[in-house]
Amino acid sequence: MSHVDAVPLGLIAEEHVDALAAGATLLGSGGGGNVALAEQLVRHAVRRRPVVVRRADELAPDAHVVHVGVVGAPDVLAERLVDPHDMAVAAHAVAAQTGGRLDAVGIIEIGGLNGLAGVVAAAELGLPVVDGDLMGRAFPSINKTTMALAGGSAAPLSVVGPVGDTVVVTRSSAAAAERLLLTTAGAFGGAGALALYPTSAAKLTEVGIAGTLSACVALGSAFAGCPARQGAELAASLGGTFLFEGRVDEIRPRDGVLTGSITVTDRATGSAARVDLLEEFLAVTVDGITRACTPDVVVGIDPTSGVVLSSGQVRPGQMLSLLSLPALHHWPASAMGVVGPRAFGLDLELEGVLR
Amino acid sequence: MNSAPRVADLLHDPVLDGTRVVAGAAGLERRVSDVHWYDGTFRKVADHLVVCDEAQASPPYRLEATVRRAQEAGAAALLVVAGPARPLLSTVRLADRLEIPVLWRESGSPGQLVLELTALVRAPEQVRARTIERLLRQLSSKRTGQDILTTAGSVLSATVTLMTSDGICILGDPVDVDPRLHLDQAVPQRGEHLLVHPVLDPQVNRLAAWLACPFERAADSRLDVLAVGLAMTEPFIRSWLSGQRAQADRDSVFRAQLVSEIVAGRDSVSRDVVEGAVSLGWRLPGWHVGIHVLSDAAVAVDRERIVDQLTAGLAGHGIELVASASRGNGWAMWITTDDEPAPEDARRLMRAVRLVTAALPREWSLTAGIGRPHRGPNGLAESLGEARDAADLARSHDFRPAVEHSDELGVARLLATWQRSDVTRAFAETALAPLRDAAHSHLLSTLHAYLESGGSAVLTAQALGVHRNTVTTRVQQIRDRLGVDLDDPSQRLALQVACRALGV
Repeated sequence: MSHVDAVPLGLIAEEHVDALAAGATLLGSGGGGNVALAEQLVRHAVRRRPVVVRRADELAPDAHVVHVGVVGAPDVLAERLVDPHDMAVAAHAVAAQTGGRLDAVGIIEIGGLNGLAGVVAAAELGLPVVDGDLMGRAFPSINKTTMALAGGSAAPLSVVGPVGDTVVVTRSSAAAAERLLLTTAGAFGGAGALALYPTSAAKLTEVGIAGTLSACVALGSAFAGCPARQGAELAASLGGTFLFEGRVDEIRPRDGVLTGSITVTDRATGSAARVDLLEEFLAVTVDGITRACTPDVVVGIDPTSGVVLSSGQVRPGQMLSLLSLPALHHWPASAMGVVGPRAFGLDLELEGVLR
Repeated sequence: MNSAPRVADLLHDPVLDGTRVVAGAAGLERRVSDVHWYDGTFRKVADHLVVCDEAQASPPYRLEATVRRAQEAGAAALLVVAGPARPLLSTVRLADRLEIPVLWRESGSPGQLVLELTALVRAPEQVRARTIERLLRQLSSKRTGQDILTTAGSVLSATVTLMTSDGICILGDPVDVDPRLHLDQAVPQRGEHLLVHPVLDPQVNRLAAWLACPFERAADSRLDVLAVGLAMTEPFIRSWLSGQRAQADRDSVFRAQLVSEIVAGRDSVSRDVVEGAVSLGWRLPGWHVGIHVLSDAAVAVDRERIVDQLTAGLAGHGIELVASASRGNGWAMWITTDDEPAPEDARRLMRAVRLVTAALPREWSLTAGIGRPHRGPNGLAESLGEARDAADLARSHDFRPAVEHSDELGVARLLATWQRSDVTRAFAETALAPLRDAAHSHLLSTLHAYLESGGSAVLTAQALGVHRNTVTTRVQQIRDRLGVDLDDPSQRLALQVACRALGV
């Protein structure tokens, strides 16, 4: 079962918030930022007025969509509340560059914090949110989007700091956009509201990943509804693949752009799995054979508490269940240089990957 | 043809010094048929030792796939020249699970390693030839025993020790002697952790010492190299020993000193002493019979002549003197055998010494003592001591040459010797002549009984069955006839021996 084909949502109401947060966390693949604060913001916003959800093809073809979210260091974002108003300011700043119209809010990445941030921005702006995103999961770079692969530019883009400082980039190459965002966020104390990828609904219908917001909520509900927290059963109920379960024996932290790794050992069978990671879990290799790798979503769960763990929450000695979820988007082979393991500096043999 | 070395064997070879096993130790007994430089493929590497460099270990996750593929291709082991990288635990676990050894070293030229390992695995005879050539070339300029051992050790990348048959270290580091080795048999041997090669006495074909080389474990080819290396070293050690001996021969003081140190030190002789003894060809651990020779000639006799003639004479009887050294007023010599001498050997030796000394010029006035057989350095000291005592006794005889054996120094034997001696008998004939005729035989038996009872008239009367006064009367008659003072202990002793000699 694929959550891409989940029943489309018409609205995000209060009853969807838990599932949305759970789904976004799962799709974060161990990264994407902590959703707890954003979950509170969404809950607060939709309690007053639910957010309308529209697929891109349901919008007028010339409707203007701006993708809104947050940018910055995950640790800062986990602790500092981003003002929804800043997101609205950022969206308007981008819209002003493209003719002033703003008809709907797009979600940059459905995994992690930004999956919820788009909904928060839509609520703040009183606009519908597009049922879809540009990544189908969480990625650490703004260039790993279907829009960028289709040749679309992230600019004009805007970053708004916590006291309303607004940076607007009118033109940007793909390579510079990422660095501009990060340095700007750094200048704003580590995080800021972000708006970018202004586009038309017609273009979005063509290159966006449709239905991921509904899929995310469906995934979250499935997760909440599954009584089992043991890997194999959980994987089955989420439509994913169980990879490995064992005790965390060694953690080698990442070194800048060099991937880190976690060794998980199954004491019963003696087999060992290696999880390669940067911010996200990138690949799982069991006994020397890579079983899952990006762009698949790799989920790490503490089987005793049932909590989905981010890469930074894994501790030595802890039990860890690993499973993979199918990507919400079928990336073409030509995209592997952008979203595949090589894009993260991983040179893996992929014949064992379970797809 | 040697069978292929095992991974563990290669690990103990000097080529792989500084290499450790990081994983897959269970596979260390795998055999290695060849060495393969990893070029990105694992084609035809079955039973090969695959060597790869840092590129395969950095970033560390890369090694994991390499380990798996090496195992799938049937490689014997993986050697990673890793630089500062260290393997991931998951890689270690994988190799442990697959039981493929992963050998790890931080530095070294991988190309050089492949070359050396290939030679080691595929052409061990070439390695051996090269080692021997280096050994010969380097040993030829070495003069002292220590230099020879050090050089051999560094060329062979092993520890080489010179030791005695009982494991006492002479030169080099002490080694644990494997009790299963037969160090009494002069043939090269291989123990569990020790190779030994006999060093023969430079002059006679007999064991002088052992070259020993301990090893942890090693391939047959490596042990061959070590064994041949020891065999090559042995002549150098032998010639050094003979040089030592020539020097020692010039210095008899050295030997005398050595003997006195052995006598003083007994079992706790120092290494210097053992070394000196071995350089002289003395086999301290064997069985020793000491001989002490004295000369109280009026004119000083050349020591060398006496010793040479004694040595030559005894050799004629099949007895080989090990050495002689000045000791006190005479010369200490001894015979060493590997086995305990039989009792009849002692009589044979005694007879031989008697015959040989008798054949030497009488004016040398020789006396000799022979000790009993004893074992070890302590035994040598003991036997020499006994020989000296025996020689002192022999000297008390008034005939020359005189030889005594320590075994025969019992009181009865002493007395019997006196009684049987012609001097004693002549004295008895003369001194007791006045009582020898039939008319006075009762006086002779009374004298004998009187002396045997310690001069007690009462005891004498009881022994003879006569009255005490009769004894007193007879003793007075004896005093008158012999003209001796029976109160003088010397006179009493002389008469008692005389009585015994006449068999009264």
